[in-house]
Amino acid sequence: MSITAAAMRRIMRELTDLRKGPPEGIRIQTNEEDMLDVTGIIEGPEGTPYAGGYFKVKFKFTEEFPAAPPKCWFATKIFHPNVSNTGEICVNTLKKDWKSTYGIEHILVTVKCLLIYPNPESALDEEAGKLLLENYSSYCDRAKLITSVHATPRKRPVEFDTPSVSSSSTQEGTSSTSAKISAPTPTSPTPTSSSSTFTLPIVTRKSASPAPPSKSDKEGVVSPSKERHASPSPLGTADANVGGKAGPVTMSMAATPAVTATKAVKRAATGGAATGAEKRKKALKRL
Amino acid sequence: MTESTNIAAGMDIDEAAIDEGLYSPKNVALAGVKSVTIYDPEPVTIKDLSSQFFLREEDVGKSRAEATLPRLAELNAYVPVRNLGGVAGQEVTVDLIQGFQVIVLCGASYATQLEINDWTHQHGVHFIAAETRGLFGSVFNDFGPKFTCVDPTGEQPLTGMIVSVAKDEEGLVTCLDETRHGLEDGDFVTFTEVKGATELNACEPRKVTVKGPYTFTIGDTSNLGTYESGGIFTQVKMPKIIDFKSLRESTKAPEFFITDFAKFDRPATLHVGFQALSEFRLQHKRFPRARNAEDAASVLSLAKNIDADVDEKILTELAYQATGDLAPIVAVIGGFVAQEVLKACSAKFHPTVQHLYFDSLESLPSSLPSEQDCQPIGSRYDGQIAVFGKDFQEKIANHRQFLVGSGAIGCEMLKNWSMIGLGSGPQGIIHVTDLDTIEKSNLNRQFLFRSKDLGKFKAEVAAVAVSEMNPHLRGKILAKQEPVGPATEGVYDADFFQAIDGVTNALDNVKARLYMDQRCVFYRKPLLESGTLGTKGNTQVVIPNVTESYASSQDPPEKETPSCTVKSFPNAINHTIEWSRKQFENLFIKPPQAVNAYLSEPNYLETTLKYSGSSKDQIEQIVSYLVTDKPLTFEECIVWARLQFERDYNNEIRQLLFSLPKDATTTTGQPFWSGPKRAPDPLVFNSSDPTHLSYIISAANLHAFNYGLRGETDPAVFRKVADSVIVPEFQPRSGVKIQVSENEPVAQADGGGDDLDDVVSKLPSPSSLAGYRLTPVEFEKDDDTNHHIDFITAASNLRATNYKIEVADRHTTKQIAGKIIPAIATTTSLVTGLVCLELYKIIDGKTKLEDYKNGFVNLALPFFGFSEPIAAAKNKYGSTEWTLWDRFEFPNDPTLNDIVSYFKSSHNLEITMVSQGVSMLWSSFIGKKKVKFARSMDYAVFHSRRGCQSEERLPMKFSKLVEFVSKKAIPPHVKHLVVEIMVSDEEGEDVEVPFLVVQI
Repeated sequence: MSITAAAMRRIMRELTDLRKGPPEGIRIQTNEEDMLDVTGIIEGPEGTPYAGGYFKVKFKFTEEFPAAPPKCWFATKIFHPNVSNTGEICVNTLKKDWKSTYGIEHILVTVKCLLIYPNPESALDEEAGKLLLENYSSYCDRAKLITSVHATPRKRPVEFDTPSVSSSSTQEGTSSTSAKISAPTPTSPTPTSSSSTFTLPIVTRKSASPAPPSKSDKEGVVSPSKERHASPSPLGTADANVGGKAGPVTMSMAATPAVTATKAVKRAATGGAATGAEKRKKALKRL
Repeated sequence: MTESTNIAAGMDIDEAAIDEGLYSPKNVALAGVKSVTIYDPEPVTIKDLSSQFFLREEDVGKSRAEATLPRLAELNAYVPVRNLGGVAGQEVTVDLIQGFQVIVLCGASYATQLEINDWTHQHGVHFIAAETRGLFGSVFNDFGPKFTCVDPTGEQPLTGMIVSVAKDEEGLVTCLDETRHGLEDGDFVTFTEVKGATELNACEPRKVTVKGPYTFTIGDTSNLGTYESGGIFTQVKMPKIIDFKSLRESTKAPEFFITDFAKFDRPATLHVGFQALSEFRLQHKRFPRARNAEDAASVLSLAKNIDADVDEKILTELAYQATGDLAPIVAVIGGFVAQEVLKACSAKFHPTVQHLYFDSLESLPSSLPSEQDCQPIGSRYDGQIAVFGKDFQEKIANHRQFLVGSGAIGCEMLKNWSMIGLGSGPQGIIHVTDLDTIEKSNLNRQFLFRSKDLGKFKAEVAAVAVSEMNPHLRGKILAKQEPVGPATEGVYDADFFQAIDGVTNALDNVKARLYMDQRCVFYRKPLLESGTLGTKGNTQVVIPNVTESYASSQDPPEKETPSCTVKSFPNAINHTIEWSRKQFENLFIKPPQAVNAYLSEPNYLETTLKYSGSSKDQIEQIVSYLVTDKPLTFEECIVWARLQFERDYNNEIRQLLFSLPKDATTTTGQPFWSGPKRAPDPLVFNSSDPTHLSYIISAANLHAFNYGLRGETDPAVFRKVADSVIVPEFQPRSGVKIQVSENEPVAQADGGGDDLDDVVSKLPSPSSLAGYRLTPVEFEKDDDTNHHIDFITAASNLRATNYKIEVADRHTTKQIAGKIIPAIATTTSLVTGLVCLELYKIIDGKTKLEDYKNGFVNLALPFFGFSEPIAAAKNKYGSTEWTLWDRFEFPNDPTLNDIVSYFKSSHNLEITMVSQGVSMLWSSFIGKKKVKFARSMDYAVFHSRRGCQSEERLPMKFSKLVEFVSKKAIPPHVKHLVVEIMVSDEEGEDVEVPFLVVQI
């Protein structure tokens, strides 16, 4: 066995929790032949050029887990300053800021946040980083294009049929860490004309999130508030320059999946009208 | 290096005191030990064989020095070893020690110690006196009245980037990005690359006062220029002067180095005790007899003359054991003293000030031996029998241990075991396994190996070598080559484990340690664990049903460097070395592997294409290695290397500067290239630059290796070819600048417009190249002719030059790239000694937590620390307490349902997940619960399929279920399966329960 029994138990627990009550916009695929073969799926957050996409993130655990972080990379092509063309992710959480209490969920939420707040200053893909700094709308366009070609399935992944854990029940956990999630000093020149294309999905903490789609009916449902304290401070991108200037706000992870889903389906349907998509794909190969 | 010579007198404590320093040519080079001279005219007695591993039975009667000399000399051909001669019965005198730099007295009388030390103290000669008596040891250091210690810790000087220096009477320096500086008050620093306050660059060392983890002050900065930006502080090690007292002075007002804080008053007691012993020896011309009450009483009364309040119990034991001689204690004290010798010679690391007293009384058997039991019987174990008695000696002889690993620690361990006679009895046995064969680099510290053994299996050679030290072990050591791991559980099976009493790890990696730990927990066998890291060492005892196991606590691993730092923003040499390690993989390992996979695995392309991410790059790489750029001659490899140079050290850098020009700013208007980001400059190839040429030579040779082409090393050839290569003009890729939109995609300029299909069509079909394979390189740091470290050094230094980072030499690069912290013989000796002191307790069958000790040492500081092992954590299900040593056992290959019902009916616990190995055999989220949770959408369909699966599995026999899920047959030697389950109680709360053992 390549990991310790205790680490295996942890992963078993996390897989169960993540399958039963996943956080908003995040799901996992498990492989019963090999539990260590874990694939996270991150739904491209609304308001980002990744919206509509579903991004697979693969994990590899070593015998040092959880003292050392798992290896973690994008298996879906993505245009993002902090992701290399081989899928490598540059986030401090996966390197020097790793803590042994972190787990799969923490990593996925952190990576999801990275989709919302790219950090061009510590770029792995310096072309994406440069573009983001210099011409935000071009960056958006290109990221959108890559998303639509490589990350947008015809049908939403079945994992997203499982509703996420209700945001109200995570309130407690979120608020405890929300102080750390300060609004980013925009690293991108959003205030220019392109700003309209990129609305940061930030709401103040108190504002009500949409009602959770699932009701926890007592029996059979894990009480999801438990063990959810690990709602991470997500912006540990390498050399993150997100300062603590703005007051405490929290990101809403609560764009209802139903809405997203229909959108995605719609997009896929319209795009899937044969030729359009084909043409686009062809064109993109030249990118 | 200075002419420095050691002398040891009185061999009966330990030649290790001297020879440990010799094992390693590196230590010698560091220390400047030029020669070793021994003085010990006493004849060898059979009892000396208890701990002196250079002596053989046939040596009895010869002078000890004479018998030892040839075997000592054999260890290291570079260090001459001499014998001072002398007449038996004559102690060493001042006349004999003229001209030596370090004198080590082993077991000399107190009077002799005083006489010699009075002289050395006056004449600037470093003096060490060491003595062991049974389970007790003592060391005294006097390195003279003004000993200069150059580097007290031996740690790398601290360094870090700074963001501000305040102009102030107490100038405050702030570190970049909240990076901890790690400095302490009184440290000294200097600076480089400071802009503005340039007076700080290369300034005289300034004394530091720590203000916080990220800030410190450096004294008056008010008259300096105004700080602008940048700067790196570097710690400067300042010499420390230590004023040693002479033994005469020190005896009156001793300064103790504490080895065990749980025995706080022990040093004072033993300080008196050792003097009393010496007095007794002077009066009676012998040591107190083993466990003789009369002799002990007179030692005690002698001690009370010095200090009336001494601990009688301890001193009685000291007297009882005075004739005892234990190899493990000798290994501990010998290793320690050898390091002190090196400190005396090199002034590196902090010497011990001034007295060390050590004991391991806890190692005594719980039922103490009688006086009768401890009488000498004319055996080589008499020194051990004097302490533990004959009965316990028999227990030692009939013990059965499994030693995992026969490297540095393994060799020392076997040496100790052979001295104590472990496994030499009719029931006894030693199993030792190591898959490695002996390499040249092993010879300097794995002291059982000689150059004639190169290429042979370590375990076999070690077994033969220690059987020669102690012939009682002939045929008692079974050497194996099978490494421990899941693949060899047919070799190390239940029968194997049931037939041993315990396991000793002598491993060098965490993975194997964790594996052995898991096996020992499963079979409930005691495990002795140890490791060293330079001058640091630790030991851990794992006792079934008592302590936690090795896996219960994890060392924090080294933090990795963020990948973007490695890729684009290196600022330290270890970043460029990490980058060059990756280059090594990406050029010489991965592409040939990919080519071979394409040629040998059916449907390789299809499976690759599934991951759309980087498949095109991969396929292009295969085309390049297999078709377009495949070299047919060595010359073409040189061309390839030259172009690779251009790509990595010129074009890529220019591309980066194109994307992020040197004057680029961040959104907040700050210069982008600032702080930890150093702006690079491209290199222009110059074949007369040795680093450039070294890169070409190593890269071309490694590339040729991939293709099975013969290499070349004549620099002239490389220079000629490399200079004639026509290098294409660099054009920055500017594709990303061109606007793209969803509706109107514009053709991009980056990297060729080839369609994937076009790329694939360039590949020859695997069948057309049947049998053709490339040879991937296997990284091997210790072969100096294979160009591996040469390439990594050159690549790292070229990149360092790009970024104006100070380059590192081959040796340093190798250490960092190979993550090598050299094992040193002194620490190894000490650590194995500590392990054996715990082994005595295991042999005795001690079961109390407080009987055992885990140890932590750092010989550099020096530091000793001992702690009780941590008790196995108690968990609870229902009202039942359990620890990691508990398990549920299920006989006769039950069905999954049997297990589920057992927990339901007997413990009222609901199983939510069942796993074996990495297979998830069953879980509730593929079971019925799901439908209740998600009663929306098309879940019913989804669930019903899954539900069936669950129902299908519950009635399966466990072995069938495992094979069904893992899709692998269970090997025939497997008789049981370890199963982990997750359960919840009535309230749905998760409950931790022990693991399951399912017999199949």
